[in-house]
Amino acid sequence: MRRVWFLIVTTCLLSAMALAGHADGVDSSDSSEYLIKAGFIYNFAKLVEWPTTAFPQPDSPFVIGILGNDPFGATLDTIVADKKIDGRGFAVKRLKWSKDSKDLKGCNILFISSSEKEHLDSVVEAMKGLPILTIGDAPGFAKRGGIINFTLEDNKVRFEVNVEAAKHADLTISSRLLTLAKIVQQVAADGRKSE
Amino acid sequence: MNLRDLSIKRKLMLITMLTSGLAVVLSSAGFLIYDLISFRQSLSQDLMTQAEIIGYNSAAAMAFKDESAATVTLSALQAKDDIVSAVLYTRDGKIFAQYVHTKASTRNFPAPPQDRGYRFEGSNLEVFRDVTLNGEPVGTLFLQSDMRQWDSRAKRYAIIFLSFVMISGFFALLLSSKLQKLISGPILHLEDTMRMVSATKSYEVRATKFYGDEIGRLIDGFNTMLSEIQHRDTAFHHANDELQTRTLELEGEIVHRKEMQKELLNAKHAAEDANRAKSAFLANMSHELRTPLNAIIGYSEMLEEETHELGKVESVKDIQEIQKAGKHLLALINDVLDLSKIEAGRMGLHLETFEISPMIEEMVATLRPALSKNSNTIQVHVAQDLGVMRADITKVRQILFNLLSNACKFTDHGTISIAVNRSTDQGEDWIRFQVTDSGIGINAKQKANLFQEFTQADVSIARKYGGTGLGLAISYRYARLMKGHIAVESEPGQGSVFTVHLPAKVTPETTGTTQPEKTSEVPAASSEMKSNLDTILVIDDDSVVRDLMSRFLTKLGFHVVAAASGEEGLRLAKQVNPLVVTLDVIMPDCDGWAVLNKLKADPELAEIPVIMVTVVDNESMGFELGASSYLIKPVDRDRLAVLIEKHRLTRSSTVLDAKAFAASLRNASPKKAGGREKGTAARNDSKTAAPVK
Repeated sequence: MRRVWFLIVTTCLLSAMALAGHADGVDSSDSSEYLIKAGFIYNFAKLVEWPTTAFPQPDSPFVIGILGNDPFGATLDTIVADKKIDGRGFAVKRLKWSKDSKDLKGCNILFISSSEKEHLDSVVEAMKGLPILTIGDAPGFAKRGGIINFTLEDNKVRFEVNVEAAKHADLTISSRLLTLAKIVQQVAADGRKSE
Repeated sequence: MNLRDLSIKRKLMLITMLTSGLAVVLSSAGFLIYDLISFRQSLSQDLMTQAEIIGYNSAAAMAFKDESAATVTLSALQAKDDIVSAVLYTRDGKIFAQYVHTKASTRNFPAPPQDRGYRFEGSNLEVFRDVTLNGEPVGTLFLQSDMRQWDSRAKRYAIIFLSFVMISGFFALLLSSKLQKLISGPILHLEDTMRMVSATKSYEVRATKFYGDEIGRLIDGFNTMLSEIQHRDTAFHHANDELQTRTLELEGEIVHRKEMQKELLNAKHAAEDANRAKSAFLANMSHELRTPLNAIIGYSEMLEEETHELGKVESVKDIQEIQKAGKHLLALINDVLDLSKIEAGRMGLHLETFEISPMIEEMVATLRPALSKNSNTIQVHVAQDLGVMRADITKVRQILFNLLSNACKFTDHGTISIAVNRSTDQGEDWIRFQVTDSGIGINAKQKANLFQEFTQADVSIARKYGGTGLGLAISYRYARLMKGHIAVESEPGQGSVFTVHLPAKVTPETTGTTQPEKTSEVPAASSEMKSNLDTILVIDDDSVVRDLMSRFLTKLGFHVVAAASGEEGLRLAKQVNPLVVTLDVIMPDCDGWAVLNKLKADPELAEIPVIMVTVVDNESMGFELGASSYLIKPVDRDRLAVLIEKHRLTRSSTVLDAKAFAASLRNASPKKAGGREKGTAARNDSKTAAPVK
C-alpha cells in the first residue's frame, strides 16, 4: 500500500514539475524575456572582471547603460537595486547614440538595444580599447565585434561570447560563463574572419 | 558435563581462551567501530566536498537557467559509483536538473529541498547544499550516496576481524595448551601419584617437584605426609611382625605349657596313685605288723607276770626287754600311721569342751617316770581361772606329751617347766602352752628341719636318745589342724622353749570329719533289761586275740564267751546277753560293722555296750553305728579294764536307780571319770604307760 501511495505522490509531483518547466519555456512574452535578460546582465557582472582603471574609485558602482529603446522597463532597475558585487553597487543610465558621447564611454556595461542595429559597428568602433562590456540584442553582434550577444534557442535565452573582443577590451570572462556561452569568432566587415 | 567439573587443563585453557578472546574481540571491535564511525564522518565530508564542487560548477548554469549545462555537470557524477542520485533545485524549490545513477534501482529524492547539511537516511547518506554564485544563492543541490564504500569497508573489516579472531584464537589455543602444562602438569602428576599410592598402598612413592610455586609447596607437603605415613606404616608392620612373632612364641609357649600340664597331670595322677598305694601299703603293713605285735606284747606281759610269780627274776628282765622293744615298734607304727593319715587329709577332729588344769596335772603325773629317769625336776605354772577350752583333747594331750617327753629326753639333771595361760588376740581367745627346758638346745640349721618328719636334730641323737623322730612333726601338724601353731626358740647348750598356740575355741575344719560330741554315758538301760553282768562276749576271728582277751578278762573276774565269726557272735549275744561285747572289724564273711549294725538293730541287744577292738582306725564309723568305745589293737589292758568296769557299774546301777545314776554321770566331767573312751586316747597313754596286767 505504502508503495502504491509513494508512486502516486511521485507521479503527481513529476507531472507538476513538467507543467512548471513547460510554462517557463512557453511563456516567452517580451516582459518575461527581458526579465530573464535583465537577470543575465546582472549575472554577467558577477562573472566578468574589469580592470581597476575602469572604475574611478574602488567603490564606484557598475554603470549599466541602455542604448536605444529600453526593453526592460523597470525590471533591470529592480533587479540590480540594492545589489552589490565586490562592494560596488549599480547605476542604470538610458542613453542615446552619439558618436562622441561621454556617457557612452563612462559605462561599464553597455546594452545596445535592438533598435540601434544600424549603429552596431559604430558603437563597436567607438568602444574599441575601452574596458566596457558590450551586450547586444541583435543576431550577429558578437561576430561584428561585440563581446556578448543575446540569442534565442528553442525559446530559451542563450548568449554568444566574442572572446577576442573581450580580450581587446581588457575584460576577463570567467570560464564558468564561457562554458554556458556560444563562442563566436569576429568576422571582419568584409565577411572574413579576423584572426 | 558441568563446567565446574571440567579438568584443570580444560579450565585453564578455557580461561585463557575466554580472556584473550574477549580482549581481542573488544579491542578489535573498538577499533573497528571507531574506524567505521570516522570513515562515515569522512564519507560525509567527502560528500559535502563533492556537493561543493558540483554546486560551484553548476552555479553559473543555474544562474543562466541552462538546464542542459547543469545536467551535463551533474552527469559528471557518473564516475562516482556511490552517488545514487543528484538533484538541483531552483530557488523556489522546483527541480532544475537531476541525475540518477544507472545502477540505481529506484530514484527517490525529496521533492522540496530540506535543511542544509548532511544526514543518514536509512542506508543512504544525503546532503543538501546551497548553490551560490558570488555568495548569492541561486539554488539548492541534493546529493545522495548509498555508502557502498562504507558497506564494503565494513564487510572487509568483518572478514578481517573474523580471520584475525580465528587466527589469534588458534595461536592462543596453541599457546595456552602448551603453557597450561605449567600448572596442570604438576597437579596431574600429583593426582597420578596419589592414585598410585592409594591403589598400590606403596608409600615409598614420591611426587616430583617441578617448580617452587604453591603447587610445588603442595607437593612438598604431600611428600612429607607420605614420608610420615610410610614411617608409621613401617613401624606398624614392624610392630605387627613382632606381634606375630610374639604370638607364635606365646602359642608355642601355650602348647609347651599344655604338654607340661599334661605331664604334670600325669605325674600328679601317678603321685596320687603312688600315694594311695603307699597309704594302702602302710595300712596293710600296720595291720600285718600289729597282729604279730599283739602276740609279742600280750604274751610277753603274760609271760612276765607268770615268770615273776614263779620267782625267775633273772628271766623277768629279758622278757621286759622284749616288751620294751615291742612297744617301741608299736609306737613307731602308730606314729607312721598318724602321719600318713594327716597327709592323706583323713585325720579328723573330735571337738569337746574340757578343763585345762586337770589335763595338765594328769599329764605331769604320767610323766613322772620319764622325769626321774634323767633326774629332772618339773615346774608347773598354770594361770588361775584358766577355765575350759574346746579342742580335740587327745591331740592337745599328744602335742604336750611329745614336747614334754622330748624335754625330758634331751635334758639331764635340769629343770623342765610348763606354763599355760590365756590371751586374746584379734578378738579371739588363745591358749598358750610353753614348754621350757635347760637341755642341749638346737642350732639354727637343725631348727629349720625340726618339724619335718623323720628328722631329729642329729642322726647320732637318735642312737643316743631313741625315739621315732616323728613326734614333733605330728605335733606340728596337729597344731595346724586345730588352726594353731608351734614355735621354737633355742640356742645350742642354752636349752629350748617350745610354745604352742591354740585357739580357745577350735572350730571344725570341715563337716563330716568331726563327730557330734559323744558323752561317755551309757544309754539309759531299760528296767526290764536282764543282763548277764559278769559275762563278756569277745568276737574276733584271730584266735590269739580271743585267747589273750579271755585270759586277761578271766583274770579280772569275768566270764568270757568267745566267738570266731560275726554270725556266731550274734547268736551268742542273744543267748548269753553279755555285759559288754568286744568286737573286731576285719573278719571274713560278716565283718564287725555288719555285726554292730545288727546288734543295734535288734531291740533286745541294742542296750548292750559294744567296745570296738580293732586295727582299723575309723572310730568315727564306729561311733556312728552305735559303738560305745573304740580301742585300737594292741589293746591297752588298763583302758579296757576301766571301760568294762564302768559299763558293769552303769548297768548294775540301772537296775536300782537308772535315771538317777545317769543324771549323776551327765553332771560329772567325763575326763575325771577317766577320759574319753576312744582308741586314740588309749593309744596315747600306751606310749608311756605300761599295759595293765
